[in-house]
Amino acid sequence: MAATPGGFSGKVLRVDLSTGKISTEDTVEKYGDVLGGTGLGYRVLWEEVPPGVGSFDPANKLVFATGVLAGTGVPCNGRTAVTTIFPTCWPRQLVGSGHMGGQFAAKLKYAGFDAIIVEGRSERPVWLFIRDARVELRSAAHLWGTGIRRASLEISQEMGADCVVAAIGQAGEQLAPMAIVANSLSHSAGGVGGVMGSKNLKAIGVQGSGAVKIAGDKGEWEKLIKFHLSILGGNNQHVVPSFPTPQSEYYNPGSRWVGEPGRRWGAAEPPVEITGNIFDLNRIAYRTNSAAFFLGEGAWRHTVRGNGCTACPIRCHTVVKVPSVAAKYGIREVAQNTCTGLLFGRSFFKRLPGGMQGQAALEACMVGMHLADDLGVWCNYGQLQRDLQKLYYDGLLKTKLGAAEYASIPWDKYEAGDPAFLFDILPRIGERRGELGQVLSQGTGGLFTHWSIPEETWARDHNTLYWKQGHPKHHANEDDGQCGVIINTQYNRDSQCHSHSNFVRNGLPLAVQKKLAAEVWGSPDAVDGVGNYTPMNVHKARRARWSLVRKELHDSLGLCNWMGPWVASPLKERGYRGDDSLESRFYSLATGQKLDREALDRAGERIFTLHRALTLRGMGEVDLRAQHDLTPHWVFADPSGAAPFSKGAIRMDEADISRGMDQFYEVMGWDRATGAPTMETYARLGLKDVGADLKARKLVPGDPA
Amino acid sequence: MNAAESAGPTAALTEATTAALTEATTAALTEAAIEAVRAASREGRLATLAEVLAALAAGGHFGPPEGQAEGQPDGQAGNQPEGQAMGQPADHAGPAQAGEEAAAPLASDTASMLPGIPPEVLAGILAAQPDLASFQSLSGQTVYHAPDLLSRTYARILDRKGSPLVLLAEEIRANSRDYPRPVPVELFEAPPFGLTPEEIGHVLQALAADPAHQDITFTTTPAGAVYLFSTRHLERGYAAFLAQRAESLSMNP
Ligand code: SF4
Repeated sequence: MAATPGGFSGKVLRVDLSTGKISTEDTVEKYGDVLGGTGLGYRVLWEEVPPGVGSFDPANKLVFATGVLAGTGVPCNGRTAVTTIFPTCWPRQLVGSGHMGGQFAAKLKYAGFDAIIVEGRSERPVWLFIRDARVELRSAAHLWGTGIRRASLEISQEMGADCVVAAIGQAGEQLAPMAIVANSLSHSAGGVGGVMGSKNLKAIGVQGSGAVKIAGDKGEWEKLIKFHLSILGGNNQHVVPSFPTPQSEYYNPGSRWVGEPGRRWGAAEPPVEITGNIFDLNRIAYRTNSAAFFLGEGAWRHTVRGNGCTACPIRCHTVVKVPSVAAKYGIREVAQNTCTGLLFGRSFFKRLPGGMQGQAALEACMVGMHLADDLGVWCNYGQLQRDLQKLYYDGLLKTKLGAAEYASIPWDKYEAGDPAFLFDILPRIGERRGELGQVLSQGTGGLFTHWSIPEETWARDHNTLYWKQGHPKHHANEDDGQCGVIINTQYNRDSQCHSHSNFVRNGLPLAVQKKLAAEVWGSPDAVDGVGNYTPMNVHKARRARWSLVRKELHDSLGLCNWMGPWVASPLKERGYRGDDSLESRFYSLATGQKLDREALDRAGERIFTLHRALTLRGMGEVDLRAQHDLTPHWVFADPSGAAPFSKGAIRMDEADISRGMDQFYEVMGWDRATGAPTMETYARLGLKDVGADLKARKLVPGDPA
Repeated sequence: MNAAESAGPTAALTEATTAALTEATTAALTEAAIEAVRAASREGRLATLAEVLAALAAGGHFGPPEGQAEGQPDGQAGNQPEGQAMGQPADHAGPAQAGEEAAAPLASDTASMLPGIPPEVLAGILAAQPDLASFQSLSGQTVYHAPDLLSRTYARILDRKGSPLVLLAEEIRANSRDYPRPVPVELFEAPPFGLTPEEIGHVLQALAADPAHQDITFTTTPAGAVYLFSTRHLERGYAAFLAQRAESLSMNP
């Protein structure tokens, strides 16, 4: 691929912590065909990290990679993929990515870099200083042992207020697999903090004074951005507001578009009332209030504003102010986060006084954010909290943990739903104190190994939401039947894919969703009503493929897959259509290299196939169908004995899922028997060399074992 | 979405009227009539034919509605920003009505006072407008709105607000049929429904006792939340599942 005049910053920074050597390479020349983000990370791991390297080995690499659209004016950009050999992947550590938003991606690009490849291990704690072309490793001796907030503050004071700092807390320093790296207060990439810790890299501080060039016509670019804004919904691309309004034909009480005119950001100074037309492009940021969605109406009066990633008008990291926690727990009264980060504290408790949207729940969220976002503890999409619940309420902990340690934990507070419990449990995990802290900080797989608990114990219990390889389900059959199941079989961590769930949860009536499905995936049967699932068909397989390819595209372009793809919109005049070619239109204008939807999707498929190849090589196993693409038992069971495909049952049918995998492998160009890509597929995607390498390892289907 | 909406012209200009109206007058009248409906929609109101006729008269399209102006209650003109929007002075006793209740008695009177255009001709003009919608209100009158400003769903809610029993029953049915989903009972406490829990309780009791509404029922989630649905469109078991799912969304990020 030839160098392009826009989109890319042009350089990849390589930092060898063992030698202190800092170098750069040309992004487009070396990585243009995999775009950036996860694609760039997978390519580095493929070429430079041999199979069998563990997460914390110095030979492992850590790739912070943004994408072509990061740092531009495209809505919902600002994502950085952090790709490495993933520490919580169990029983064998394999490739995986954490994804963070915030301002890091934009700053890195303004400094002139599309990505940073971190390799080796420093002898002493260091942090990486980047001020445009000036790049240095600086001592982090004074920062070691501090939380993310202190480290970020100190580095900011050293660099200047316009820097962005991505740092680890105590959990990462202690090589906890369950550790994050976070920037801009609350934007974290899970699971990779310990890899930074293993390299003695405390933080990366970035200042950039450049800009991202756009190759295409400025007017067209502006027009496309305006158009994109016009088809945005609320968070997760919920295109229907949660309230009836004169301006919308549809409403959905379950929508994340909760910003109804008349609502107030009650803790803003002065309070801000939402007014005006809900479709006004200057009012998009009023639509989403994660605190109100997850914690109920009462959260409005605690809302200060929305915060979010570069150029994203959704601003899903809601800033909340709860003065009572300052007096009660001695913590800051302001915090911000979204989704599982926001709910970190609440999720520990089975019960809370006043319920899951009451005052105790709100306080638990505040304490949880205060501790977890500073210690740098990851929740593995809520699996950490569900693991503790299972261990405790099933009586496992009492039998596994030493009596003295067990007695030292304030279980009375846990049972009573007292947020103060979090001051005991979270530092244990973050600082890896005691056996419980050690075990929980390893992640679910680690606890299976440590306490000789058969994986089956979790995989048979629907309440754990455990899927496989040490990770939970992420929008699976409960949201999207077979499509959800297939997607959840594909990664080495929770799937983190929202392409499918954003569509099925978008709030439009089923008939409208089916109409759009027919246009995008070839048949209305590509989508079912939730819990009213029909047997598998090839259109669902195509939708699963599309979902995964677009997820990788977003992760590689710097776009947010928590919002995209944008195939539905709130616009009645468009028949609620979004635009399936938006990504390729932006890519073409940004880089000046014209790629249509199919061509860009092929790049996404290439990236996803590279992930598959890394998994094959890492496992040393060609039969991924039997050994990797697994579905837990609970998916095939219904507590009330309801049959598959009966209305209201989310249980799947084993034979049908098996058929679904056949169809999925087929539309991917993978071997049905093993789920491994064929040589033809590698060749079609420009990955002949990858196919040849795997062939030599007997990891291409058809090779004698 | 709602079946009873008129889809196209329901009346054509009669030959006599066509002859009487020049093309230019018809175009001006049409434009003014559309604007009268849009003005009402902008304010979150449904427009009756009488209101549109009165607005046309106020706009000078076929003579002032003198009797009507004199008949206005004191102060009403000051509550008619849509009249001002059409260029009418604030102190002009404009005919556009602030509410549906006021519109009803106007219908026959206005028609008889404004021989320039028979109501059925105006109805035909309005019905022919692709960007306007109309339906028969609960009061029996045809009402008009501009769906881009006042959606069909919202228009129906507004029309039914005076009859909470119909309001709840039809909203529950539409949700069960179209999405499909049961709705949390609290939905009806929020705008635009704005009913008190007591009022909702009374309506639900009345629905339960009414043979015509035996399809309206409820399911209670394990956490105790009440969701309403129609058995015409949702099986009980499926409604229970959907209710539990709706409740769990804030626990499943
Ligand atoms: S939706 Fe949220 S996470 Fe995604 S880009 Fe916007 S602010 Fe960031």
